[in-house]
Amino acid sequence: MASIKLGMTSTFMALALAGVAFGAAPASAAGKVTVSIATDPGSWDPVDTFLVAWGSVGSNIFDGLTSRDTNAKIGPGLATSWEVLDNGLRVRFALREGVKFHNGEAFNADAVKYTFDRLLGEEGAKGPQRANYTSIDRVEVIDEKTVDFHLKAADPVLITKLAGYGAMIVPPQYIKEKGEDYFNAHPVGTGPFSFVAYNAKIDLQLKANPDYWGGAAKISELDYRFISEPATAVAELQAGRVDLVIDLPISLIPVVEGDSKLAVESTTGPVVNGLRFNTKDGITKDERVRKALIMAVDRATIIQSLLGGQATEIASFQSALSFGDDPSLKPLPYDPAKAKALLAEAGVKPGTPVQIDIRSGNPTFNEVSQAIAAYLQTVGINATVKPYETNVFLNDIVPQGKTGAMFQQSWGGWTLDYDNTAYLLYHSGQKWNPYDADPKLDTMLEEQRPMTDVGQREKLLQGIAGYIADKALEMPLYNLNAIYGVNKRVKDFVAAPDNRVKLNEVSVAE
Amino acid sequence: MAGFILRRLAQAIFAVLAVTLLVSFAIRLTGDPALMLTQGAGSITEADLVRIREALGVNRPFFVQYLEFLRGIVTFDLGRSFLGGTPVSQLIGTALPATLALAFWSMFVSIVLSIPLGIKAATSRGGWIDQTIRIVSLVGLSFPNFWLAIMFVLIFSITFNLLPPSGLSGASSYIMPAMTMGIIMTAVNVRLVRTTMLETLNSQYIMVARAKGLSETKVLYKHALRNCAIPIVTYLGVQFGGLLGGIVVVERVFNWPGLGTLAFDAVGGRDYPVLQATIFVLSLMIIGVNLLVDIAYGLIDPRIRTE
Repeated sequence: MASIKLGMTSTFMALALAGVAFGAAPASAAGKVTVSIATDPGSWDPVDTFLVAWGSVGSNIFDGLTSRDTNAKIGPGLATSWEVLDNGLRVRFALREGVKFHNGEAFNADAVKYTFDRLLGEEGAKGPQRANYTSIDRVEVIDEKTVDFHLKAADPVLITKLAGYGAMIVPPQYIKEKGEDYFNAHPVGTGPFSFVAYNAKIDLQLKANPDYWGGAAKISELDYRFISEPATAVAELQAGRVDLVIDLPISLIPVVEGDSKLAVESTTGPVVNGLRFNTKDGITKDERVRKALIMAVDRATIIQSLLGGQATEIASFQSALSFGDDPSLKPLPYDPAKAKALLAEAGVKPGTPVQIDIRSGNPTFNEVSQAIAAYLQTVGINATVKPYETNVFLNDIVPQGKTGAMFQQSWGGWTLDYDNTAYLLYHSGQKWNPYDADPKLDTMLEEQRPMTDVGQREKLLQGIAGYIADKALEMPLYNLNAIYGVNKRVKDFVAAPDNRVKLNEVSVAE
Repeated sequence: MAGFILRRLAQAIFAVLAVTLLVSFAIRLTGDPALMLTQGAGSITEADLVRIREALGVNRPFFVQYLEFLRGIVTFDLGRSFLGGTPVSQLIGTALPATLALAFWSMFVSIVLSIPLGIKAATSRGGWIDQTIRIVSLVGLSFPNFWLAIMFVLIFSITFNLLPPSGLSGASSYIMPAMTMGIIMTAVNVRLVRTTMLETLNSQYIMVARAKGLSETKVLYKHALRNCAIPIVTYLGVQFGGLLGGIVVVERVFNWPGLGTLAFDAVGGRDYPVLQATIFVLSLMIIGVNLLVDIAYGLIDPRIRTE
């Protein structure tokens, strides 16, 4: 009897304590937002992965020295300002005062130095991130709140890169005490949300960091669920168990639009799609043929009818957000008559076969390439589409130059700087450039890299884009929007172009 | 008998080894994990790739890697996932119970549905009930499991909002995936129960039981079903293996955190250690069940031992 009584007393006490705990929760930060992302990066350490999924989550746990706003513009982050010195070979950062990591550790110059020593050292060598930061020679602590980055060569994209992924600032004491493995699964940063729990392949739970330097989040809890099948993610959205689906496929837009509780939010994204030509052999060796094939395809109609208008035409392999984009550069117009004339001029006989190689598994691009094949038929080219398993396509077919006359190229370009795309796509000997070797283009690409004059560099990049368009090295198609499915109970959600959605500004209506 | 068991055991071990060897070899033909990891990375050089391959250990000859995997099995250290470095044993440790639980409940659904339906079809042989059950089970056989899964989600999660559309969060999460797998299996099992039951009902001892004046229910469920049980249970044992194979698709649709999802993601990411371990565990179970069935048969029927 006594034990029952004791049990009841403790139950009451627990209930009372729970009441106190709930009562103590701040009224301003309430509510939970659940986000669906396609993959579990497997580690929350910024140096371990290059998945966009990591960027979506990591941006809410960690901060970089710089940050990118919802318009993809770079601004201050953990550094309040910076100066480029010594012809671009040294960058001095003034660090934000009074910032603490989620474990209470102070953010300071030592943390910055530790972060980059680690990234450029043994730990970073195991992962894919280091390659993006190899222009950094070393980081020097000037005082508690000032650091100098000494560079091996000027890197115009460095400031942008510091806003994401591997450059996120990590807590030295915490990692040294708890170890690398523990940090992978229990991340600590300075961001708007702090770690609560992680179940590999299932979910990650975060809570608001009340001391966030950028202002505490308006929601108290933020959960991520890993749902690889988009249709399943949308079903969860419809059932009200997920509030936000990142990377909504075009095919599922009508489903979300058809539900009165939900909305589709989209914005210009970084992903561009096009077809590149085999410029070495076959009919596409001839520039006139390449131009003819571009003119044979009505890209505007494809965007409207197959992509639901969720894309914009491009003239080079970059989005309007990219540094180096030239708004005055226009793609070749849709002109089947001119296309036919050019083909005849080049001596291409009607019925000549052309093979378009694509990655399988993307139903949208599959449809687009079928449409392109149909357009090519109308000018007398007998086009066939050949899908390859994505990894075979990326690892074997393209880099080895085993493609058909045309092949798919999709490009993300997370730094939103044309250099990162153009160098890898067009410089001789690069993995993504199986066919061209153009010394003039190589020189142009090399010339812009060390340039610190922003305006001059932009001109050069635009010149590169113009040169490629003139030579018709590719058929630029479209820049796909970044598309999100959102429950309307989420207020103030702003679609981010690069999926790195910071959620400290959103609130929820219960 | 000991000789028979040893021989069967050796065959099973050989089969597991052959499966893992083949899968390990095949996945290495399909792409470089270092390239997969660096897909979104900007300026990756060949030197970076070399370094990453070294860190992952995939720069060594295939047989060295495979032997290491075997050593890992013996020492209970299956290595780490290439994608993030989570210990593989930890991933298997959470996925295996989820898959087994789903397999169990799928079997349960199938047994609960197929035994009464099969018996009913057998006892009303040739009648309209029998015809209906046979036609429905034929239709059931032709259903792709993912289609059935999507229909369930549409009806029970989206239209009526009764069940969670995906994930594993409490008992209600089991209903739709178990029903999907269970119904597909029922289609086969109903036919099996019906056929076995028909054979049994024609046997002499059933006639004797009926002649003794026993009630039809008692004849069916006490005498006939017990004798049908042997082939049915054997078949269910074998079916369990197939079930584990077929679970991949259903797990994916329902975002079930099991071995199927694990294997699927591992193939996509060229995550060799995770795929090898998942295939090892799955083959161990499938081959293990078959081994048990074989041994049980050997114990019961001496003719099989000397085959």
